[in-house]
Amino acid sequence: MIVDATQGRALRMTLDGEEVRFSDGETIYEVATRQHTPIPTLCYDPRLEPFGGCRMCVVEVEGARTPVASCTTPATAGMVVRTKNVALEKHRKTLLELVVSENREVDVDPLRGYASQEVATLVDEYGARTGRFQGQRSGTSNETDDNPFIKRDYDLCISCYRCVRVCAEQEGDHAIAVMNRGFQTQITTEFNGRLKDSACTFCGQCVQTCPTGALGDIKAMRAEPLPGELKKTRTICPYCGVGCSVDLLTKGERLVGVQPAMDGPANKGALCIKGQFAFDFVHHEERLKTPLVRGDDGELHEASWDEALDRAADGFRRAREEHGRYSIYGVASGRAPHEAAYTMQKFIRAGFGTNYIDNCSRA
Amino acid sequence: MSNPLIDMEKPDVIFCIGTNMTECHPVAATGLKKAIAHGSRMIVADPRKIPLARLAQLYLPIRVGSDVALLLGMAHVIAREGLVDRQFMDSRTSGGDEFIEHVKPFTPEWAAEITGVPAKDIETAAIWYGSAEQGAIYYTLGITEHICGVDNVQSLCNLALMTGNIGREGTGVNPMRGQNNIQGAGDCGAVPSHFPGFQSCAEPENARKFSEAYGTEIDAEKGITKVTALNQCGDQIRALLIDGENTVVSDPEREHCEHALKSLDHLVVIDIFLTETGELADVVLPATSWGETDGVCANTERRVQRLRAAVPPAGQAKPDWWIVSQIAQRIGTPGFEYESAKDIFNELCGLSPIYAGLDWDRIDQGEYQWPVPDKDHPGTPILHVREFKNGRGLFKILGYRDPAEVIDDDFPVWLTTGRRLQSYHTRTQTGRSQGIDYLLSEELLEVHPHDVASWGLVDGGQCHLSSRRGKIMAKIKATDQSPRGTVFCSFSFNDTPVNILTGSGYDPVTETAELKVCAVRVEPA
Amino acid sequence: MALLSNSDIIEHWKSAAAPLLPVLHAFHDRDGHLSEDALRAVSDGLGIPIAELFGSVTFYHHFAREAGGRDAPRVCTGNICALRGAHELLDALRSEGATPMPCAGRCDQPIPVLRGDKVFVGLTADSLAHGPTPLPPRYPGDGEECVFSAIREPGRATLPGYRNSGGYEGLEKLIKSGSPGETIELVNESKLAGRGGAGFPTGRKWQAVADAEGESKFIVCNADEGEPGCFKDRAIMDHDPHAVLEGMIIAGYACGAGQGFIYLRYEYPETFAGLERAIADADAAGLLGENILGSGFSFRIDVRRGAGAYICGEEGSLLNSLEGKHPFPRNRPPFPVTHGYNQQPTAVNNVETLASVPHIARRGAAWYCALGIGDQAGTKLISLSGDIERPGNYEVPLGLPLQTLLNDWAGGAPHGREIQAVTMAGLSGGFLAGADLNVTLDEPSIRSCGSFLGAGGVIVFDDSRDMVKAARDAMEFFAHESCGKCFPCRIGTQRLTERLAGEAGPASLADWKTEVEDIGSTMRATSACGLGVAAPMITDSLMKYFPDKVEKHVQT
Ligand SMILES: Cc1cc2nc3c(=O)[nH]c(=O)nc-3n(C[C@H](O)[C@H](O)[C@H](O)COP(=O)(O)O)c2cc1C
Ligand code: SF4
Ligand code: SF4
Ligand code: SF4
Ligand code: FES
Repeated sequence: MIVDATQGRALRMTLDGEEVRFSDGETIYEVATRQHTPIPTLCYDPRLEPFGGCRMCVVEVEGARTPVASCTTPATAGMVVRTKNVALEKHRKTLLELVVSENREVDVDPLRGYASQEVATLVDEYGARTGRFQGQRSGTSNETDDNPFIKRDYDLCISCYRCVRVCAEQEGDHAIAVMNRGFQTQITTEFNGRLKDSACTFCGQCVQTCPTGALGDIKAMRAEPLPGELKKTRTICPYCGVGCSVDLLTKGERLVGVQPAMDGPANKGALCIKGQFAFDFVHHEERLKTPLVRGDDGELHEASWDEALDRAADGFRRAREEHGRYSIYGVASGRAPHEAAYTMQKFIRAGFGTNYIDNCSRA
Repeated sequence: MSNPLIDMEKPDVIFCIGTNMTECHPVAATGLKKAIAHGSRMIVADPRKIPLARLAQLYLPIRVGSDVALLLGMAHVIAREGLVDRQFMDSRTSGGDEFIEHVKPFTPEWAAEITGVPAKDIETAAIWYGSAEQGAIYYTLGITEHICGVDNVQSLCNLALMTGNIGREGTGVNPMRGQNNIQGAGDCGAVPSHFPGFQSCAEPENARKFSEAYGTEIDAEKGITKVTALNQCGDQIRALLIDGENTVVSDPEREHCEHALKSLDHLVVIDIFLTETGELADVVLPATSWGETDGVCANTERRVQRLRAAVPPAGQAKPDWWIVSQIAQRIGTPGFEYESAKDIFNELCGLSPIYAGLDWDRIDQGEYQWPVPDKDHPGTPILHVREFKNGRGLFKILGYRDPAEVIDDDFPVWLTTGRRLQSYHTRTQTGRSQGIDYLLSEELLEVHPHDVASWGLVDGGQCHLSSRRGKIMAKIKATDQSPRGTVFCSFSFNDTPVNILTGSGYDPVTETAELKVCAVRVEPA
Repeated sequence: MALLSNSDIIEHWKSAAAPLLPVLHAFHDRDGHLSEDALRAVSDGLGIPIAELFGSVTFYHHFAREAGGRDAPRVCTGNICALRGAHELLDALRSEGATPMPCAGRCDQPIPVLRGDKVFVGLTADSLAHGPTPLPPRYPGDGEECVFSAIREPGRATLPGYRNSGGYEGLEKLIKSGSPGETIELVNESKLAGRGGAGFPTGRKWQAVADAEGESKFIVCNADEGEPGCFKDRAIMDHDPHAVLEGMIIAGYACGAGQGFIYLRYEYPETFAGLERAIADADAAGLLGENILGSGFSFRIDVRRGAGAYICGEEGSLLNSLEGKHPFPRNRPPFPVTHGYNQQPTAVNNVETLASVPHIARRGAAWYCALGIGDQAGTKLISLSGDIERPGNYEVPLGLPLQTLLNDWAGGAPHGREIQAVTMAGLSGGFLAGADLNVTLDEPSIRSCGSFLGAGGVIVFDDSRDMVKAARDAMEFFAHESCGKCFPCRIGTQRLTERLAGEAGPASLADWKTEVEDIGSTMRATSACGLGVAAPMITDSLMKYFPDKVEKHVQT
């Protein structure tokens, strides 16, 4: 076996004047992030292969003629890197001014998507709303796609291709792609059609990685006019057994949307259409809001909790008295939390001493 | 699952059988897609040419219900080609030699005859899986919803045991659990055979432990399953408490099921909507839904995670645990004086050895996969690493059986059922979420285009679909996703109630219904 | 011949190396365009996701997506042709569905018009004629040529003709009595450096490939020749194709490669046919294929046609294009020498670089070195065009004064005019004017003026030309060809074009200049590939040499 000469020896480089260690294969950007040295980025998503498009992450490497993109450049032993200086900051500002010049608007509602504030945040940080570099705007919003989930507002697109890459690399659907080239570049689907007619599964990952809000969560955006602060609550998707972590978006007492948890242990930021978009049943008008009890007329009628619970309890008590403890059975839910299943089985076991309990796993 | 979800990116050979993962567990399927993008090979066995099959390098279009034959044929080839992991078998398993002797007659040609898959493809699949560094098996209800569901699972275990593809990273026999907390329902003891933590009811010591904890004498004997209970409704079973299940739409033999529920003296349903099942109840109690409820759930990889409320309950809705506890208190059962979900979860942890190291606060970030036997334990992402639960891995000798019902002149077509990406179960939730209808507004019976033509049907037209148990109408979609002679439909839409047709038989051990196979007739309407 | 079916085409190419481009061309040729049906068949057949395939097809200028589009005339409206009335010719051909195309690499001839497999040249619609690539003008210097030394020999393009004039002798010598190591040593000693633009020492590149670990190694001949004002590679390939093949075989032998590709620009259809013929002849003669000349070394060459994208000459883009991926440039490192075609070690070399090698192999490194003037080693082909009496390809000794080439060799500007400016490196080196026209033709001298020699395209502008307009045409080209991968170039080339065209930008001269300088400086410092780095040389040199014209432009 060939032993790498660098193995065993700790790899070191100099980052902003400080000697730091790194491991083989790490990029300069990764090393810097680990060292809590922030480097601005726009085309970067830690879950994706580094792309090197926005060039915001350029750093100075001693011995190199021009700055290098830290997101794609591997750290090497002895490298001397500077992440910030006047020239780099000026380039970053120029890049942001160029970005501002090509877009219809920079400020979008955070309801559009998880990463939708990235551009606006950087633009403010660098004071890049200077109005310089005016000219044509790039990207044309798609007005013909009638899908109810994903807004395709390409007027705001900055061609970072995070959406295309997330669809290919994370979701594996390859539903969207880059059309044309240069300033005419446009995010597209097969034959520039609707998402519905493409390989898109409406998982929403493109929406959540888009740094401009060009791709927007239409369902969440309906809540833009609602007053109140946007709050996030971490929970787990209510559908399949993968158990994806999500952040529930609420305004006041209303659940207005869902965003994936980028650090969710089971999903690392991924979701499917159900977890992403099928949340609003919670506020559906048909939700049961009061207990119902069957009346003498054979119909179900609204009742108070006391009345309904007494009636429920009575029935079980009577069954036990009249037909014995084996006449009562419980079916727990595979959809409700542990506490529901646990109390259900305890209800049967502690109440009647039987094991007459099951759940719906068989259906 | 024996292995964590993150492992799905790691196997060099992936064997998926009876799982429509891209539709039913989409985020898990992304792991497989990444593995393939990085050079892994995937074998998919499924009667339908599902999306996963299109991603696979080797697709085995097996006839519905012929899984055991395929797996026996593969075991035969693995043994014949000397791909058996002798060291693993000798040190970790028992019954291996008998099994290898047993599979001798089951040649790939024999399996080809039953499954309809060419013998050479069965051989290739066996050789790929048998020579994998890290071979992993994934399955879902396509394996379990058969009269031979247990045999199917056992056959998969046999393959893993003979090749040593278990107990290591990127391997394992991995069932994908269908519902968000179906794993949790089992963990919590909502099964007739086990107390919380999979402690057997038949073990007197366990019965004693729970009798003591609950202050009641509890039978040291398994209870009956739901299927049996439904059969006994009106006779032995008089009162039923159902939490959050739309039995009428999701269970097979719909008419039988409705009849059973109607013949009860007392039916109490807890749910968030008034379901078809709720309509039959004496008392319907409104539960808080997801998003309104604090609690705990466990996913398919045994990861214990927190559910959190973000909005107040709808109307007067109450958490399920509160409702159940109230009923319990009102019939005089002690031990239900809970004030929060936390109290209940911590009680569970105290009684369940696999949760012994957990409590409400420790699961805040969801980093634990059970078993977590004590507070110093990091959790168990991979099961069976050094030894199996009961010591050695046992090979099971088994043979192929036909499905409960096979096609004949009267019912010449196979019907198989399942789920779709955009809808979940009986659509109580997805059906009430805006926009989903845009993608899936009605149920469609998937029929191979040639069959559409030769049976005199029209793409987009209606047909009569009948089985020995009933008859429904369905709208037709011509697609080569269905093989010739087999049709597919999901059980999501109440207006296409396939569960009127299904229910030809049940697995004798688990009493799981054979929802994946039934013989039908398709006629133009 | 019966038309091939979809599956015939796919089956024929499916297991070939780098199948996507030839499959697309096969459908394009069969149907006259790329239909949705064809693209779906290709997507299924080659396992390329349809959205990605669609997106990549739209990247290439020449893939027509409307029926009949392939054979509709494409008129070169490149920088030189534009000076000669290309837009009028385009208008005259509009009724036939004519569309413009960027520089088609025939700047020494009248305006080229591409129709399907044939290129016609002419200044007006009725004078369009089809003819061969001009031979380089008779050597006017007093030194010695290398690449062109035998190109004018009769029959040189055929295998017998090539062998009659010393062809394949170098290969035979190296393969029979040398070794791969010695071959690389020879090229190192010759000081041959890349002639495609970047000027990287060829021997070192080969050494890196030879040293790299990989399952298989590749040689790619870069025949994309997309740089406006460059047409030297076509002259070599049309009149001396075996020199390119021999150079590739030697490179393959030196690097341990088994497969070579020639990536040829779409606009050279006749060259494609010629190369295919030469490969077939070499194959039949045992000079290619298994066990070449009984040495045990095997090597094959396939030609792959591009489809109209300047960026595909950039080696990372080229490799992505070959692999059937979206043709964005790749991030470097890693470099092609370790992670090239299919992530395997690959030497990408320009046509001229490779065509020099057989001569070096035959006549020795010292001979080649001595061809240069002073410290400079070897020769360089210069494609000379524009306002010049005798346009054409000239092989100059490196170190030759530019003025000698322009005036003594090529006769200066026609009609008694003065030379106002020239471009360097096609367009990529921007303009040289004034005293800087006194440079010598070699990198150190030209780089000291802020430009570079690159691929050796020199476009001459006489004193009647509007240099702001020339700069605008050049920037328009870069904007048209910017791939869109990186922000500074995608937006920067557009903004600079708008400013040169007077379509947008500040009205005050100072602000205008600051904007243009800021954009240029950020493009140079941060662009992901050479296109974006080079493009602002146009504006920089314009402002440097023609400040008064810039001032006038901004003010009006
Ligand atoms: C935008 C751009 C276009 C290029 N076009 C060509 C080309 O058409 N032909 C070429 O040989 N090299 C071209 N190159 C240079 C190649 O990337 C590469 O350096 C060259 O092919 C290496 O061969 P050499 O070392 O023999 O010069 C181009 C580079 C850039 C940045
Ligand atoms: S739509 Fe958004 S994510 Fe996609 S390229 Fe544009 S800005 Fe980037
Ligand atoms: S988001 Fe999709 S994959 Fe994830 S848990 Fe929910 S239903 Fe399952
Ligand atoms: S510099 Fe221009 S051509 Fe090169 S990668 Fe960037 S956008 Fe593409
Ligand atoms: S983050 Fe490095 S180029 Fe965008």
